Formats: sequence, C-alpha cells, structure tokens
Amino acid sequence: MTALGYEIDIAADEPEDMIVDEDEAESKPAVKRKGRGFKSETRDARGDGVRSTDKYDQFESTTEEDAAAGRAQRSVEGWIVLVSGLHEESTEEEITDKFADFGEIKNIHLNLDRRTGFVKGYALVEYETYKEAKNAIEAVNGQKLYGQVLHCDFAFIRPPTPVLASERDRDRNIRSRVRRRNRSSSPRRY
Amino acid sequence: MAGNNKDDEFYVRYYTGHMGRYGHEFLEFEFRADGRCRYANNSNYRNDSLIRKEMYVSPLMMKELRKMIQQSEIMKEDDARWPKKNVVGRQELEIRLGNEHISFETAKIGSLVDVQESDDPEGLRVFYYLVQDLKCLVFSLIGLHFKIKPI
Repeated sequence: MTALGYEIDIAADEPEDMIVDEDEAESKPAVKRKGRGFKSETRDARGDGVRSTDKYDQFESTTEEDAAAGRAQRSVEGWIVLVSGLHEESTEEEITDKFADFGEIKNIHLNLDRRTGFVKGYALVEYETYKEAKNAIEAVNGQKLYGQVLHCDFAFIRPPTPVLASERDRDRNIRSRVRRRNRSSSPRRY
Repeated sequence: MAGNNKDDEFYVRYYTGHMGRYGHEFLEFEFRADGRCRYANNSNYRNDSLIRKEMYVSPLMMKELRKMIQQSEIMKEDDARWPKKNVVGRQELEIRLGNEHISFETAKIGSLVDVQESDDPEGLRVFYYLVQDLKCLVFSLIGLHFKIKPI
C-alpha cells in the first residue's frame, strides 16, 4: 500500500483532532493514520487492558547491590543483560562461551526469527550478581562477532523517578488530554 | 529516545482476545517510548485471574524493538483486505512510528493456512510473523524479569 492509503488527521471536517496536539508545535507534520482500529467501536470501550488506570505489578528490588546499580534494574532472580547485533547464524553455544567468562549464566534466551528460523539478532543473558552483568556489558559492548558490532546493556531500568507530585501532575495532564480526545472520531491513544 | 521530536514518537500495542463462556479473555501488551512495558493477560478458565505486569526496558531494548518493527515493514501494509474480527475473536496492532500511526484490526489467525487463504496473504504474513516475534520478545522479558510463565 502506498502513502495514498493513509488518512491525514488534520482533515478540515475533523477540527477536534487539532485539540489533541494543542500543546505541541503547530509546525510539525500531520500524523498519517491507517487502519480499521481507528474506527472500531471497541477502541475505547475496554477498561481492562494496558490503558486501564489499575495498578500494575512491578518487581521492586531490595538488595544491597541496588545502590551501586545506577539506572539498571534487578530482576527477580538476577540481572538481565541484553546483547544485540547478533549475526543470524550465531549459536547458543557461541554466545554462552562469550558470556560465561564473566560469571555463571543462570539463563539465556536466544530468540529466533519466526519467519526465517534464524537468530533474530538479540539475546538475553541472566547473571546472579550485578558485578558479573556489568563486567559482561563492559567487555562485550562494541565487540565484533561475524563482522557485526555487538551492543550490550542491561535489559531493564528503574522507573524514571519515584512518583513525585510533578509526575502525578503529568499523568493527570495525559489523562485529561485522553478524555478530551474521546470526543474526537479518531483519537490518538496514548 | 523519548524526545519531543515527532520523528522520535514511538508506541507499540498488541491485543488479542475474545468474549466467550469465560467472559472477556485477552492478552495485551504495550511499549511506550520511555521504555515502560505493560502486560495484561486475563484468562478466566479454571478461575485464573488477571495478570498485570509492568517493567521498564532500557534504551537498547527499545532500539531493538524499533528495529524489529522497521525491518518488518508493517507500516507499509494496510488491514483493509484482512479478515474482519468475528465471534472467534480479534487482534489489534497499534504502532506509532514517527509521524505514521497504524491501528490494524483483524480476526484471530489460527495458522499460515488462514494467511494464505486471505485476500492479502503478503500483508497478513508480515503481520503474522511480526506479532509472533513481538510476543516472543515480551514472553522472554516477562519470564526473565518476574520468573513467571506468561501463558
């Protein structure tokens, strides 16, 4: 489908859409929308999904390592390292060999491209301690494997800041904008 | 990553679900540009309860997700000729990437046979594989971070 298939969302007959972006610069290009989901009656009907205001469980870590971990977030049983840039023919054995130098690997996920069956290009590696994970990241990030540069970092970070008043206000602003959007026939949703 | 520039706008949401004997059963996840990933799974079968999980992933993870979406070329597709949602259920895929925003809606897809027999097998195949790759990533993240089997 070409760009002709898009709807341009600042159509003259939908002035309410302009409200959505009232706090953004007017010089920015129009958002091109496409898909039946924008017209669906179920679009705003559900209150039970990811956009609900209900509490979502987060894992909150309370170990001594946390203080030194900067923005990195510990997971339930250890620290998860992400490596990307993997060649599609990389094997689990090669990746295990590379990462075992820094500590015992508790877990490794090397996901495959569902269409080709080859390695998708990323892996998730779990270590028990922050130090092991940090050492692995520092050593592997920027290395080459099969001629491709590897990128390596923690997979999880802490939530941006503790929920302060400023954040609550921001969330409230988002919610009030969403409410206004609901009047529109094709609201943007986040 | 989560800048104010519209080229940086990024959001991904996938939903699959149906209304049936056990009420509204669904699986849904989303990623925001700031790395917040939410996962919700409601299966009332055998009194299973709603699972809601939230985690923040790093900029490198978000970069990998964005790459996955760009390489799939899903933004070039259109759901106009895809099977319509039905009593078996529906799937939704919403992606905001720069100044392009898609919100596709289609029926549940049982297998590649459904893809082949549709009016737009090439487009639906892009959707079918991207959804599988996204689910695979999310299940790994949930599984490793919370030590639960998401489904």
